[in-house]
Amino acid sequence: MKRIILIIPFVLTLIVSGFLLFYLLQDKDPKKPPSALLNEDIPKIEIPDLFNEKNFLTNVDFKDKLILVNFFASWCAPCKVEHPLFFKIKEDHPSLFIIGVDYKDLKNDALDYLKKDGNPYNFVGYDKQGLIGLEFGVFGLPETFLINKKGKIIYKHLGPLDKKIIENDIYPLLN
Amino acid sequence: MISIVGFTNLLLSFLIGLIIFFSYFFNNKNTISRTYYNLVFFKFFFIIVSFLTLIYAYIVSDFSNQNVFENSHSDKPILYKISGAWGNHEGSMLLWLLIMSSYTLFFTLNKNLTDNIKKLTITFQTSLFLLFAVFVILTSNPFLINSINFEEGMGLNPILQDPALAVHPPILYVGYVGFSLILSLALAGLTFKQIDYEWMNTAKKLTLFCWSMLTAGIALGSYWAYYELGWGGWWFWDPVENVSLMPWIAGLALVHSLMITKKEKILIRWIVFLSILCFSLSIFGTFLVRSGILTSVHSFATDSARGIFILIIFLVSTGFSFILFIFKTDDSEEKLKLLFINKSTALIFNNIVMIIACLTILLGTIYPIVIEVITNKRISVGAPYFNSTALPILLPGFLLMSIAPALSWQNNKLPKYKSYIFVFIALSLLSFIIVYLNAFNVWGFIGIALGLIIIFSSLLSVYFNCIKFGLRNFINHNNALLAHIGVGILVLGITTSSVYKSEFSVTFMINEKKQINHYSYTLLKLETNQNSNFQELVAVFSLYKDNKKIAEIKPSKRYYNVSKMITTEAGIYHSWFQDFYIIIGNEKDQIWSVKIYQNPLVSLIWIGVIIMVLSGLLGIRRA
Repeated sequence: MKRIILIIPFVLTLIVSGFLLFYLLQDKDPKKPPSALLNEDIPKIEIPDLFNEKNFLTNVDFKDKLILVNFFASWCAPCKVEHPLFFKIKEDHPSLFIIGVDYKDLKNDALDYLKKDGNPYNFVGYDKQGLIGLEFGVFGLPETFLINKKGKIIYKHLGPLDKKIIENDIYPLLN
Repeated sequence: MISIVGFTNLLLSFLIGLIIFFSYFFNNKNTISRTYYNLVFFKFFFIIVSFLTLIYAYIVSDFSNQNVFENSHSDKPILYKISGAWGNHEGSMLLWLLIMSSYTLFFTLNKNLTDNIKKLTITFQTSLFLLFAVFVILTSNPFLINSINFEEGMGLNPILQDPALAVHPPILYVGYVGFSLILSLALAGLTFKQIDYEWMNTAKKLTLFCWSMLTAGIALGSYWAYYELGWGGWWFWDPVENVSLMPWIAGLALVHSLMITKKEKILIRWIVFLSILCFSLSIFGTFLVRSGILTSVHSFATDSARGIFILIIFLVSTGFSFILFIFKTDDSEEKLKLLFINKSTALIFNNIVMIIACLTILLGTIYPIVIEVITNKRISVGAPYFNSTALPILLPGFLLMSIAPALSWQNNKLPKYKSYIFVFIALSLLSFIIVYLNAFNVWGFIGIALGLIIIFSSLLSVYFNCIKFGLRNFINHNNALLAHIGVGILVLGITTSSVYKSEFSVTFMINEKKQINHYSYTLLKLETNQNSNFQELVAVFSLYKDNKKIAEIKPSKRYYNVSKMITTEAGIYHSWFQDFYIIIGNEKDQIWSVKIYQNPLVSLIWIGVIIMVLSGLLGIRRA
C-alpha cells in the first residue's frame, strides 16, 4: 500500500512530461514580423559618388529603374564573400542598376578594395558617416535592398547574399 | 577571440565535470582525495572564467559575439552592459551553470557529513551540471560568433535597464539553483539510508539560504514590476510569477518540515519528497518560461528545441529522483505522535496547506495549456482564479501561524493560552471597527485581522520567551517568530494595498491644480532630459495636503534610441502610510492624461519581505 503512494509522484511526472512533449511537438511556428521598411518608399537621399564626391545620386535618379542597393565596406569580411556574385547578377540582368554604398569606410581603402576585387556596381556611393545607412535602417554589413520602378523597397536581405538567395528570392522579383 | 576563450573554458569545465562524474564509478574508495576536491575547484574555476569572459565581451561591446550583438549596445551605461550578460536566455543559463558549480564548491567545505554522502552528493550535483552544460553548449551557446560584421548591437530591452532588474536574476538563481544541491543531498541520503542529524542540519541551512534568496529575488522582481510596468500593482499572477511561487512554497514547506524532524525523525520520507519537489518545480518553471509555452514579461527568444531539451532534463532528473524515491525509501512504519494541538500537528497541517496551495497554482498555470491542446483555443487564467482559490487555501495556514511557534512539541497545551485568545478577540474586533469605519470589505477585514493577529501574537510569544530565557540568545529563541512577524506585516501590506487602493484617471494642464481624495496635485512643468541611451520627458507634479506642499513626484516617459521603444516610469512618493503613484499618458492640445494611484501601506510589503529574508538568513547560523 505504502509503495503505491510512493509511485504517484513518478507517474505524475511522466504524465505531465508526456503531455508537454505532445504540446511542444505540435510546433506552433511564430511568424516573423515583416521588416519595417518593406513596401515603403525609399527615403529622401543624396549619395555622393565615391570616385568624385562632387557628384551626387538623388531620388530623381532612382525613377523608373529596378535598383539593387548594396551596403558594403572594405573592412567587412562577409562583403568580400558576396562581392563576386554581383558580377554574375550584372551578367544575368544587364538592365538592373546596381548601387554600392561604401559604409563608414576610409575612402582610399574602399578605392583599393574595388581596384583589387573589381567594381560590379553601376554607381558607387560614399557614406562616410553612415547617414545614408541610417536612412535605410542599415543594421549591419552587408545589407542589400531591392527597389522597384515605383521607388518602393520590395526586398531586403541582411547578411551576405549567396547563389540560393539570389536565384530563389531576388531573380523572381526582377522578372 | 574573446568568445573562443569563453567557449573553451565552458568546454573544459564540462570535461572536468565528466571526469568527476565517472570517477565515482571507477574509484570505489569511500574517502575523498585532495585531487577530487581540486577537480571540483577547477570545474568552478573554468566556468567562472567562461562567465567573466562573457561579461568582458559585454563591457567592451564585442559585437562579433552574437549574444552581445543581440542584447547590448555601445551607448548603454556600464551597469547595464554587465547585467546584459545575464539579461538574456543564453547568458542566464551560463550563470545557472556558474551558480551550480559554486554550490558544489561550497559544499566541499562541509565538515560534518560523512565522505560517502559528500561524494555521492557531488556526483549527483555534477550530473545535473552536465545535463545543463550540454543544454547550454548545444542549444544556448552564448559564445556564437556572428557571420556578419556589426558595428552596433541591438540593445537591451529598455524595460530591463533598471538597477533592481540587474540584480534580480542572480539572486533569484541563487535560490532556484540552490535547490539542486538539496536534491542531490536528498538523493545521496536516500541511497545510503543515512538521513541523520547532520544531514538534517546541512539540509536545513541550505534550504533556509536558498529560500531566503528566492524570496529576495522574487520580491525584487515584484518591486520592479511595481514601479516600472506602471500598472499600479506589484503582483499580477503572471505565469512567471506563478512558476517562481511554486518552488518558493515547496521550499517553505521544506523549511518547516525540517523543523519537525529536529525533534522527531519520522517525516524523512516527506522531507525527501519535498527536496525533490523543490528543484523539480524550479526546472519545470524554467521549462515553461524558456520553451515559450507560456508568454509573459519574460519573453525570451524561444525555440522548441530548447523546450524539448529542458523537458528531457526535467524528465531525467525528476524521473530518476522519484524512481530512487520509490525503491530506496525506508519502509519502517512509525506512527507520528500527533496530538490534537501540538507543534508537530501544526507543522504537518501547515505542510498540507502549502502543498495544496502549490498544486492549485500549478493547476491554474498549466490549465491554459491543457485547454489549448484539447480545444485549440488559448484562454488565460488570471488573477480572479488565483485570488479566489490560492488565498482561501492559505488562510487557515496563516491563522495557525500566529500560535504554532508557541505550541509545545510534547503535549497538548498552549501555555498562557488565555493571552492568545485575548489577542485574537481584541484584534478581530479592532480590525472590524477599522474596516467598518473605512468602506467595509470582507477581504479587507480578514486580511487586516489576520495580519494584526499574526504580528501581535508573535510579539506576545517573543515577550514570553524573553521572560523565560532573558535577552541572551534573543535571535536563537525568537528567529522563527520574527519571520512570522514579517509575514504578518506582509499580509497587512498586501491586504490594504490591494483592497483599499484608489485609482483615478484625470487630465492636467500645466499649472492646473486638482483635488483628489483629500490631496491636491499640480502639474508644474514638463522637462526633457537627454541621457546617453534615452531621451526622457519628465512631468513634475507637486503634491499638497491642506495647501502644504509635501512632495514632488516625477513620472516620466523614456524614449530609447536604440530599440525605438517608449517606456513608462512611474513617479512614486513613498510616505509611511501610502504611496502616491503617478503615470503620465498622452497629450492632446496641451492637456495631459494622467493616472494617479493612492496605494495605502504598500511599504509594508517590502518591509515584511525584508524581515522574512533577514530572519531566514539569521536562521542559518542557528541551524
